[in-house]
Amino acid sequence: MTRFVRSYSWELLLVVLIVVAGIWSSNLSPYFLDPVNLLTSAQFFVIFSLMAFGLFPVVVHGEIDISLASTLAVGSVMFGQLAVAGVPLIVALPIVLLATGILGAINGVLVAVAGLPSLAVTLGTLGAYRGLAYILAGDTGITGIPAEYRTLGSTWVGIVPLAVLLVLVVAAAFWVLMATTPFGRYSYALGNNSAASTMAGAPVARTRIAAYTLAGVMSGLAGLVWVSQYQSARGDNADGTILFVLTAVVLGGVSIKGGSGRAVGVLLAIILLGTIQTGMKLANVPGTSQTLVIGALLIGSIGIPSALQLLRRRFGVRRPAS
Amino acid sequence: MNGTLIADWRERLGLTGGAAALKVRFLGVVVFLLLLCVAFSILSPRFFTFDNGRSILFSAAILMIAAVGQALVVLTGNLDLSVGSIMGLSAYVIYDIAGQFVELKPFVMVMAIALGAVLGLINGFLVAVLNIPSIVATLGTLSIYRGFTSFYANAQEVTSGTLPGWMRDLATGTVLGLPTYVWVAVLVVLIVGMALRYLPWGRRIYAYGSNSKAAHFYGLNSTQIVLGSYVGAGIIAAFAGVLLGAQVGNINSLLANGYELQVLAAVVIGGVSIWGGTGSVYGAAIGAIVLATINNGLVLLQVQEFYRLLIQGVAIVLAVAVDAIVRNKVQSATSRRSITEVKS
Amino acid sequence: MFNRKRQGSRLVTAIATVAAAGLLLAGCSSTAPTGAGPEASGDEVKIFMAPKFTGLAYFEVAREGGEEAGEDLGFDFQYIGSDKPDATEQIATLTNAIPQAPAALVVSAIDGDAVAPALKQAREAGIKVVTYDADAAVDSRDLFVNQLSYELAAQVMLDAALVNSPDGGQVAFISASPSAPNHTAHVKIMKELIDSDPAYSSLSYIDTVQFAGDDTAKSQEIALNLIQANPDLKVIISSSAVSAPAAQQAIINAGKGGEVFATGFALASSVSDFIKSGDSKAFALWDPAELGYVATVAAFQLATGVIKGEEGETIDAGPAGTYTIGKDGEVLYDKPLIFTADNIDDYSF
Repeated sequence: MTRFVRSYSWELLLVVLIVVAGIWSSNLSPYFLDPVNLLTSAQFFVIFSLMAFGLFPVVVHGEIDISLASTLAVGSVMFGQLAVAGVPLIVALPIVLLATGILGAINGVLVAVAGLPSLAVTLGTLGAYRGLAYILAGDTGITGIPAEYRTLGSTWVGIVPLAVLLVLVVAAAFWVLMATTPFGRYSYALGNNSAASTMAGAPVARTRIAAYTLAGVMSGLAGLVWVSQYQSARGDNADGTILFVLTAVVLGGVSIKGGSGRAVGVLLAIILLGTIQTGMKLANVPGTSQTLVIGALLIGSIGIPSALQLLRRRFGVRRPAS
Repeated sequence: MNGTLIADWRERLGLTGGAAALKVRFLGVVVFLLLLCVAFSILSPRFFTFDNGRSILFSAAILMIAAVGQALVVLTGNLDLSVGSIMGLSAYVIYDIAGQFVELKPFVMVMAIALGAVLGLINGFLVAVLNIPSIVATLGTLSIYRGFTSFYANAQEVTSGTLPGWMRDLATGTVLGLPTYVWVAVLVVLIVGMALRYLPWGRRIYAYGSNSKAAHFYGLNSTQIVLGSYVGAGIIAAFAGVLLGAQVGNINSLLANGYELQVLAAVVIGGVSIWGGTGSVYGAAIGAIVLATINNGLVLLQVQEFYRLLIQGVAIVLAVAVDAIVRNKVQSATSRRSITEVKS
Repeated sequence: MFNRKRQGSRLVTAIATVAAAGLLLAGCSSTAPTGAGPEASGDEVKIFMAPKFTGLAYFEVAREGGEEAGEDLGFDFQYIGSDKPDATEQIATLTNAIPQAPAALVVSAIDGDAVAPALKQAREAGIKVVTYDADAAVDSRDLFVNQLSYELAAQVMLDAALVNSPDGGQVAFISASPSAPNHTAHVKIMKELIDSDPAYSSLSYIDTVQFAGDDTAKSQEIALNLIQANPDLKVIISSSAVSAPAAQQAIINAGKGGEVFATGFALASSVSDFIKSGDSKAFALWDPAELGYVATVAAFQLATGVIKGEEGETIDAGPAGTYTIGKDGEVLYDKPLIFTADNIDDYSF
């Protein structure tokens, strides 16, 4: 039992925070505790969740990818144009996911094969892919999306939106991927000690490229969700949202240095952020306070345990070695 | 002992080891800039004029200063994502206060230094003392500083009329044909560059950056170094902020929103390694000029905005690639040299 | 032995997954479940105003108009929104406004298409939707209070340009983004007018439009580069209340005040220094407070059933005038103002 608690300590902390946030939010606003409202609000976070899960293995590797929002825009614009051109979803889906996967793979190759720093590379592709999205989209937005493409955003199973179910399925898939498959094991190993893993024979380049490609595919999927939820596509879709996605991943207990973190943590972090944001918005809390709270949460979640550790070291009672 | 190293002419000229690496990396971005200039000059007759060059330098001036500040932090192997928010906060708050208390108008620069130091100190504390990874810490302060600016501003603008006259003159004035801002930027670059080269504090930053784990064993106080780099970056960012404020005239709470990406791009193009320890502020400054040149050239060529984003992004990746190639060549050249020398 | 056991558990997992999927498919529906929501509160009518984002002075002035409407007509006025200029943030704000069951929403949309599903949802929940300043998709809102028809807006900006440079000259355009429908429409009509209307025959224009994303520093850099690229440039025109004054400042910074002019839409307070110093002779706008007032009154009248939102109906906004609903629910406010040295002090916004 104690082993479980200690190993899952971060995730349990998140659960506690979610409960606290839930209580705080329901105090802030009487509309909060309605399950249908909650699920409708949850729908809003599906896009960010998909990107966060895509980012998750990359960060486990000890790398980063800030170009995901731009890849999403390429995906959403491509879906939009294929949709309006009458291409059935079954055909469009592999085309677009292949395209966004390739965009991700480009990042992966530059990082893993050319050995370039991931922050710099994805800083470049952030702009390049955004430009690509604008070029593909042209001057106006794409509207008039046929019903088939809108299914994800307008179907409910009981009271649960289909998109939210998609997130749960994706979360489970990533849990399995990272916890049981060789890809997952190599990712953690490479994140913990890249040099040692390479010498131990881990396929560094392949695993890294795979992680980036997967991130690209997830962004493409998020692009489909965008089109289905917002029934439109534009070159500036999701511009500026990568910081929120990064916040979710970091809050989920995935160390930015790599080597640790769990899918369930990322999911809980999104739920926490969603609870706080929804509560604040339902109570019409001014926008500035919302920004401050999220920033404080990010710093606090990592800073406070660290500060406690420092204090303990300074003032802690020494236990005799037993 | 038989191992006296032969004093090669290369060594005497400082073309081996770290010094060589610095010079060659710096060279990389200069070459990149020259290639850009040649390309634009061929494609557009209006590019290679004194007037246009002056305009480019003016556009680059503030980015140069901000990039120098960011370079300080990046050299230690960290990041400061809050630079845009620091710039916006200092510009708005300081000019707003100076607008209300007229006696303070001559002191805006001093106020900027003080405010920047405080904001930088907070960043440094989070990273150096609380050991929060710098991406996370400065991502948090990015939101907090921007949120505070928003809150303080309450949707009001600081209009250009309330800005101190001497700051406005600084923004619009010229000295010896070049805008004053360009001289200020060059001054900042030189001061910080020389401090890094000649002051022990500067060399400690490079030492820490090249191997932060081993730094402890060299007797380097890593907390002080990181803290110092953030305070320096904060001061420089706040300084850049008030300069930007004087340049734009009307200041709203979103000034410099998202600027950190441009600053990082300048630093990265300029050859400052994200991993720390190598690169120079001169490179970062040239990186800023490269970005301004690209923006200028594309407007001259009447290229549409979408392509500008694409080209800028590709330029960043290219610059980093060139940088890596150069670094590898230098590393293999210099390390081979040392081994053969010891062997003989 | 181990293999069989793992195979067995894998089989069970597979069957369970298929069964679950089957159940899911059976339970699918495409009608949104309705939330509990608060009961229709009898007398207190709530109206929410949601600007593009809360940090811009222009929207703050419109807010004052809305608040005044709330006081005059006796309803609860609330100002909601995020301080970030992100479309997703605005959508979240609107989605979370619906369960609070206001009687009406008054919205200026960042991304008029992306916000449409949320607005449609609001209308389905019985909330009236009025857009102002920046429209959303036509079928997602009841009315659009347009400050100036696109044609009038284009004319006003060109007129302001001619005030600055009576002999005409070359004109360049700066917009916010390629997907801002009002800016795109303004530029298109301005180009057409310059091409065909004899009143503007002294003007010529640069075809490529620059985009500054409502960012002050970027607007300045673009303005500087435009001056460099086009030595014959006379006027820079922008529909963005951030870009127009920023461009003017850039012109002054470059020492070209009085030779090159910037104009377009901007708050009087942003440009009064330029007008007074003579660097610019005219900027244009409308009264944002009155616009906010009219939009909010329209929303109130829709919510209380005074009007139905059909073409031809009139909206009586008291001291702010009366307006007729035109085609596609568009209400034209059409009261442009041109700020010159003579009247700049009359305006406090």
